[in-house]
Amino acid sequence: MDNLGELLHGFTIAITVPHLALMVVGVLLGILVGVLPGLGAPNGVSLLLPLTFGMQPVSAIILLSSMYWGALFGGSVTSILFNIPGEPSSVATTFDGYPMARDGRPTTALATAFGSAAFGALIGVILITFLASWVAQVALAFGPPEYFAVYFLAFASFVGMGGAAPIKTVVALAIGFAIAAIGIDTVSGSVRLTMGIDELVKGVNFVVAVMGLFGIGELLVAVEEEFHARAVSSKIEWREVFRAIGRLPRHSVALLRSAAIGCWMGITPGGPTAASFMSYGIARRFSRRGRYFGTGEVEGIISPETADHAAGTSALLPMLSLGIPGSATAAVMMGGLMIWGLNPGPMLFVDSKDFVWGLIASMYVGNIVAVVLVLLTVPVFAALMRIPFVIIAPLIVIICVVGAYSVSNSYLDVVMMLGFGIVGYLFKKLFYPLAPLVLAIVIGDKAEDAFRQSMLMSKGSLGIFFANKLVTCLIVGGIALLLLPLVLQLARLRRKPAPSANETDPEKVII
Amino acid sequence: MISRRALELATAILTGSFGVAVVVQSLDNGIGWSSAGVDSGTFPFLTGIIIVLGSLYNLVRGVVPAATLANVPIAITSIELRRLAGLFVPAAIFVAAIPLLGMYLASALYVFAVLALPRHQSVPRALAMAAATALALYVVFERMFQVSLPHGALAAAFGF
Repeated sequence: MDNLGELLHGFTIAITVPHLALMVVGVLLGILVGVLPGLGAPNGVSLLLPLTFGMQPVSAIILLSSMYWGALFGGSVTSILFNIPGEPSSVATTFDGYPMARDGRPTTALATAFGSAAFGALIGVILITFLASWVAQVALAFGPPEYFAVYFLAFASFVGMGGAAPIKTVVALAIGFAIAAIGIDTVSGSVRLTMGIDELVKGVNFVVAVMGLFGIGELLVAVEEEFHARAVSSKIEWREVFRAIGRLPRHSVALLRSAAIGCWMGITPGGPTAASFMSYGIARRFSRRGRYFGTGEVEGIISPETADHAAGTSALLPMLSLGIPGSATAAVMMGGLMIWGLNPGPMLFVDSKDFVWGLIASMYVGNIVAVVLVLLTVPVFAALMRIPFVIIAPLIVIICVVGAYSVSNSYLDVVMMLGFGIVGYLFKKLFYPLAPLVLAIVIGDKAEDAFRQSMLMSKGSLGIFFANKLVTCLIVGGIALLLLPLVLQLARLRRKPAPSANETDPEKVII
Repeated sequence: MISRRALELATAILTGSFGVAVVVQSLDNGIGWSSAGVDSGTFPFLTGIIIVLGSLYNLVRGVVPAATLANVPIAITSIELRRLAGLFVPAAIFVAAIPLLGMYLASALYVFAVLALPRHQSVPRALAMAAATALALYVVFERMFQVSLPHGALAAAFGF
């Protein structure tokens, strides 16, 4: 097998002392931002981004991706021990994780969560190993129309499957596109949408948006409800860890199902948050013990955790092979790729083999490092949660301010970051999804370029998007996804008397 | 106290006016088809239209509350509003003070103010934390990563 040979080569890159050290640093920083409310994986990764400019791309991506794994794990720690989701994607873990921990089984809850998370991540990486290069090979034949169609499909799937109110998703996407268009137009060189502010010619950097939307926005949401970290014991009993992990295979159906849901949601950008909620909902419906969910069921922890990590990992597949990130954090990493001078997309598998396979190999190693480190450091980070929020909050504000400033040494960026903070708060409060907004800011330009190049090829005829089978399928699939919410609503109106009470508040799904 | 409806309306108006601004601005760049292909204003123009239409839809949904909206009549209570202001107002003052005071002085004052003024911490402890914050910023950015943070007009006046 070609891929296995490449993977082995990747391991020789990933398993070196400096790279292992970077993994440890990345994972620890990741757990830190995952644990702290108000800091999450997207803005954690973007904070670290300016510091990677001097590094080799492989080392830089290993650092950033390890941070991502760490953040995914860290979010579950606070969900289980404090009932406070450190990450939006670990909200579903609180439903059964916290009750189990409160009942005096915190170690079981944590070990179950980490074990199933590692399983989900493993499935995601295996998928990437075998599928990514194949997808890239197919994508090598893509022209601008096919690319636009893939972008269209990606954005449409947010609307159809993201779980948020569809029109709110559309508005969030369109705002992202408009923000991406600010500054110099890459095709014609003309200046667009500067709103009379000359400094906006350089455009709006996505890091600034992420800092505000996720950093300040989340902080404002968190400060609203003055939470007291009422922790259950955070001591880890090692024998129970192995016992809990040993019991996991009994739930192999739930594991496999959740991993499949996660991978699907990660590749078609639905994101880890939607994946974990969907997986939890499906598990509750199909599990034999479904009615005990919410009281500390093992499968209630396994399902969201496995899906969360499977989605988080497989979100890198479309990023690497197509240049379309599958989650907000993947979008930030892709922004990094472009800054390091790499061109995300199929050519990556031809031009920078070392980078791609080094990253994939590091995902195997990084997740193992993450599981070990997170288990070892649970007490430390749990102690961190006891620092009063009034002290942490101003520090996070300063971190976001400095982070936004250091992107391009511009004061305007800081002011914009604060503005994005208000928008982020309003959007979170009213369940507008943030991930599509960030995604559109990062790849809006590329989608527009693809569209305009296709139009040049066809001399202005939209018929080019139906010129061959592949592109027609993609476009039709996209349109179908766009119309999906409408169809569902119509179907619901038909069998009207259905009471809506038994549905898990659909608005909760996005956050 | 802010109702969910008011918040929905305000947000829809905010996004809608952004959409209008985008539409108006993109008209300057030209929309439609020219000899050079699709004009550079076309794509933003279309997104602007989508934003405006979507915002209008959300606006109407906000005015005519559906079942889900009726469940949460109050989005932000007055206590929550005070907490929000307690975080945001000092942060905004901090950002506003950066051009004058510079990042180091502004962040130290900010930390000191939010910790000592509401009496969360004693004055000496707040002072210590403020100093530690500024020092940590200096060491990490100016020294380790050689990113120069703004020193401020005040420092410039004193000749730093």
